[in-house]
Amino acid sequence: MQSIMSIIKLKNISHWYSDNRVLDNLNLEIEKNKITYILGSSGSGKTTILRLIAGLEVPDKGEIYIQNIKVSETNKIIVTPDKRQLGYIFQDLALWPHLTVYENISFSLKNMNKSEIEGEVKGILSLFGLDDYLQKFPHQLSGGQQQMVAIARALALKPKILLMDEPLASLDVKSKRKILDYIVSIKEKYDLTIVYVTHDHREAFAIADNIVVINEGKIQESGTAEKIKNSTNDFVKYFIEW
Amino acid sequence: MLYTIVLLPVLFLLVLPVLNIVVLTFFDSNLSESIASMSTDLFMLLLKSLAISGIVAFISTFIGIVLGFSLYKSDIKYRNVFRLLILIPLFISPYILAVAWKDISVLIFDIDTSLFKKTYSFIGMILVHSTIYSPLSILIIGSALSNISKQMEESALLIGGFKDMFFKILLPLIRPSIITSFVLILIFSISEFSVPAFLGIRVFTTEIFTQFSAFYNHNLAMLQSLLLIFICVFLLVSERKRISNSVFLSIGTRGKEVKLYSSRKIVIFSYIILSFTIVFTVFVPLSILVYQSFRTGTSKFMEALSLLLPTISDSTLLAILGSIISVFIGFVAAYYSEVLNKKLMNLMLLILFAIPSTIFGIALIKFYNNSILNFIYSSFGILIIGYVGKYSFISTKLIGNSIKQIPKSLEEAAVIQGIGFFKRIRKIIVPLVLPSIFASFIINFLFCFGDLGISIMVYPPGTEIMPIKVFTIMANAPESLTSSMALIVFLVTILLISLLFFIFKKIIAKYNVNY
Repeated sequence: MQSIMSIIKLKNISHWYSDNRVLDNLNLEIEKNKITYILGSSGSGKTTILRLIAGLEVPDKGEIYIQNIKVSETNKIIVTPDKRQLGYIFQDLALWPHLTVYENISFSLKNMNKSEIEGEVKGILSLFGLDDYLQKFPHQLSGGQQQMVAIARALALKPKILLMDEPLASLDVKSKRKILDYIVSIKEKYDLTIVYVTHDHREAFAIADNIVVINEGKIQESGTAEKIKNSTNDFVKYFIEW
Repeated sequence: MLYTIVLLPVLFLLVLPVLNIVVLTFFDSNLSESIASMSTDLFMLLLKSLAISGIVAFISTFIGIVLGFSLYKSDIKYRNVFRLLILIPLFISPYILAVAWKDISVLIFDIDTSLFKKTYSFIGMILVHSTIYSPLSILIIGSALSNISKQMEESALLIGGFKDMFFKILLPLIRPSIITSFVLILIFSISEFSVPAFLGIRVFTTEIFTQFSAFYNHNLAMLQSLLLIFICVFLLVSERKRISNSVFLSIGTRGKEVKLYSSRKIVIFSYIILSFTIVFTVFVPLSILVYQSFRTGTSKFMEALSLLLPTISDSTLLAILGSIISVFIGFVAAYYSEVLNKKLMNLMLLILFAIPSTIFGIALIKFYNNSILNFIYSSFGILIIGYVGKYSFISTKLIGNSIKQIPKSLEEAAVIQGIGFFKRIRKIIVPLVLPSIFASFIINFLFCFGDLGISIMVYPPGTEIMPIKVFTIMANAPESLTSSMALIVFLVTILLISLLFFIFKKIIAKYNVNY
């Protein structure tokens, strides 16, 4: 990857949970306006990378840059999560269960009057075909619809970067395919950079512009789907065989 | 910042009085005299109190296991009705039940023979305390039973039978809750003052009260208090890890499928044991109070009503104020402890909770009874401080358990979207823990409304609150008047609780938190 195109840079990042080192001197650059998949098995450190980029974790060592601005350094958050212009879709979606779909999406909209908020929320929801679900609560929606609301909520603040932590893991193949198509289309529409974490290499091969394979906190291989498929790295070969 | 704002008053208004009593006792010039005056008789009294409370804790925990299983694991109909009825003794102040059981003994047995009177008193105290604290054990153990994965029990049932599953899987899995229940009830029982005082049993708390209030031997009372504080704090702190991690007083579990046993034998056994308990602990005492109150007409009941009526508003207001502050402090302590791992306030409240009420009352008197702080000591403020210090920990645990169940991502999603701290608390956390906030408010209200241990020590002159009024009058009143007062307190409590439930149910429905 060429650094001139990168929107996110992780430099010499190490991170521990208690005595367990989850990231080991990791260097990673994420290209602007691309879909980058971070691929790895459970406990490989892939979710930690997303949390560090979002500013939900403080790196124990190293520096993180977003749009060439240093946002975190060793034991310090420089730019708080809300100022990083990013959206985050959690593995469990984190939809607020006591708020309706409308309230979930409008919750973070500031400096607008009521009718502007209403227009904004309806606009986003119509993109996802959720116009009829405004007053529903999350538990009244199907799994696929919940995913759509989570994506819509993340897009409400018009982020530059969308971080997705394996949000489709619990969906059936058909719903997963439908949402992946949406993701590709919203990337174009919103001019987004998407960082997507998963353990499913088939999903990554289907839509990723770039793939980063990590294991035990270290990058094993990175590049296009073709490059990963033809990798000579033992772990990568073993991982994509399954 | 919010943490510091709450921590400082907790430290200065609640913890400092306890530290003060410790320092005063150890630096007292007559310390050696006081120690010398602690005779063997006193240590025997301590052992006796420990033995009685140990028996109460054992019986209550055993009942908690049996009824907890029947109530939470057997496939019975009208579970919620049974649950509500079985918890009623927890809503009644201990002395009310003591009055009822004394009435029963008067009617059934001849308690005037001195030998029986002595036995009756011990048995009576154990009976009343076991009746009151068993629901607590049922709650603690029932919550633990509801948290066990269905698959764990089913895989055990496939390998062995029900007996093996119960003794080798279920009981070991809920062991922390069994220990928690035992320790908590032991502490509650050894700290309880009103029942032994009413039944005329000499135990450690009544001895401290006598030394302090009758003999004005403050040094000895404080030394005795310290001994009891050390025992209670030692018991609770040594169990702290287990209590912190077990689902102590949880009000429900989300997203877990509970294994229910529908075999005929278990279901019939459950119906019988639950019905018997409800009759024995609720209907019999209540019926006897009604019978005694109206045996000679309505005059005694009306007299009791006229005596207690002026106290209801002050008692209610004080209990509501105490509960609001306790819930607020409990919420702050719980949030910072569970989310941000700041546990100092939690520890302080735990220690205050472990200190017996009468002793906490003495600590407050010693700290506030001076020219500078007299404005607090001579007002209702001292009662509020007492309630908040003693009962805030209950809110901390209840709300803390609820906060534990909220996925971290719900708040993180709000952080990323730029939602400020107070809006996150107000719009995300509070609505999600609303049922626990209300439950802890009601439990705190019950404890404050029925409190006698602290109130009897610190109530300002001229104050008329219900437990004090009842307790002072019933010492010399005829049985029918005592029973009438006990019945009125019971009815007022149930009425207020029903009213609070009604209001909270409306609010909970509005916030759609029963998702």
